[in-house]
Amino acid sequence: MLKPIITTCLLLFFQVIYAQANAEVPVDFMRSLGKIYVVVGVIVIIFLGLVFYLWRLDRRLTKLEDQNH
Amino acid sequence: MDGLIRKMWWKWLGVALLVYVFIAGMLIPLKPNVPTVNYEDAQPGEALEVEVIGYNTSFTQQEEDTRALLCFPDSLKPHIVAQSVEVFDDRRAKFSFQLPADLPTDAAFLNLSLIVSGGEDGTYIRPDAVRLENSGEVAVSGTGATWSHEEISGLKDLNRMTFPARRIIEETIRNTYFHVALWLAMVILFTAAAIYAIRYLRYQKLAEGGKLLNVIKGLDVRQRADIWSLALTEAGLLLGMLGLITGFLWAKYTWGSYWSGDIKQYTTLIALLIYSAYFVLRITFREPEQKGRISAAYNIFAFLLLIPLIYILPRLSGNSLHPGNAGNPAFGSQDLDGTMRAVFYPAVIGWTLLACWLASLRFRMSHVEIEREEMWERETIDSEGQMESKVIS
Repeated sequence: MLKPIITTCLLLFFQVIYAQANAEVPVDFMRSLGKIYVVVGVIVIIFLGLVFYLWRLDRRLTKLEDQNH
Repeated sequence: MDGLIRKMWWKWLGVALLVYVFIAGMLIPLKPNVPTVNYEDAQPGEALEVEVIGYNTSFTQQEEDTRALLCFPDSLKPHIVAQSVEVFDDRRAKFSFQLPADLPTDAAFLNLSLIVSGGEDGTYIRPDAVRLENSGEVAVSGTGATWSHEEISGLKDLNRMTFPARRIIEETIRNTYFHVALWLAMVILFTAAAIYAIRYLRYQKLAEGGKLLNVIKGLDVRQRADIWSLALTEAGLLLGMLGLITGFLWAKYTWGSYWSGDIKQYTTLIALLIYSAYFVLRITFREPEQKGRISAAYNIFAFLLLIPLIYILPRLSGNSLHPGNAGNPAFGSQDLDGTMRAVFYPAVIGWTLLACWLASLRFRMSHVEIEREEMWERETIDSEGQMESKVIS
């Protein structure tokens, strides 16, 4: 019972996507919308890099605090 | 640096600049252009219908005054004007040309540029839009159309802020504010680190000469220079790593693969590995003076290698995909126009200030660590002294 519903939903979903991309060269997600997701990816990488730095700083501070007691 | 370390204004300035960079860098649209051009091959003397799919174009709003021209590359002369323009929607239009009977060139074929001009989108040019084969003969069934050798006049200007539209690069031109600016910030931080390393060696020499060094907040200026050098190098290396990884992603979608074995990719990787060795070096030496002296010398050495590796060698090499190398222009007037400059320079300053903030946190932590160690040593010596005095008594 569930299977046909999911299939129908998926078909409808892809129909919508294809209707939007109609008559243009089919592109993958990263290349869609003028490759804007490459820029999004770059920003996410930089954000993760900054978080990584904070995480390391956090660990060193924890060590420092532990020495205190 | 020492006076600014607890001040907040420059940290907020860096954050404000980056907020501006994110907003302006993501919201300013690309210049209208026509990435997709479709047409059926036509011979001289025949009708040529060119269907275009635009990007950021608004054909319906300028239906009345859209002009399209096909012109010779480079000089934009001679040219022909489209006889009719048919607009389907904002992004789709059809331009109908009558090709003249002759093709005034000796070349076997000709790649014509398409110029589209209108009140709403201004004027933009699509190079290599239409390819015409040159049979060398003048067509008999001429339509009366001729190539115009006059200057193209009456082109509309665009009165909006836009970023340049480039084929293949497209929206990723915005990475200039993230990837490219990160590298420049990294070079600034490594330069500062090298300056502190030089300072360390100078103070070291003074100290060896028997001079008493200034002490600021429990650390003498030589120790401070050493930690600053370490902190700035660490933040610089973070920026460099991020620059390399973001470069992988950008390269994947513009050059075709994450790693193209490009000279610039190799030299930057080598430069970053040299800098990574700095941290290995630091943990190898226990004795503070030896550690400071050797790591300061190594930092200067790494900086002296960094500049030729990332700036000179790629430029000297005969072959590179990366802009700014092997004769490719880096910041030509087209690649970095006035609007981009207004975002790019704040981006460089913003990333530099943010990285300095990270470096200053690192500095303060090392400061506390060293103080803690010194206190600990003093306490041990004191308790040992007490024990000794007890034994004697």
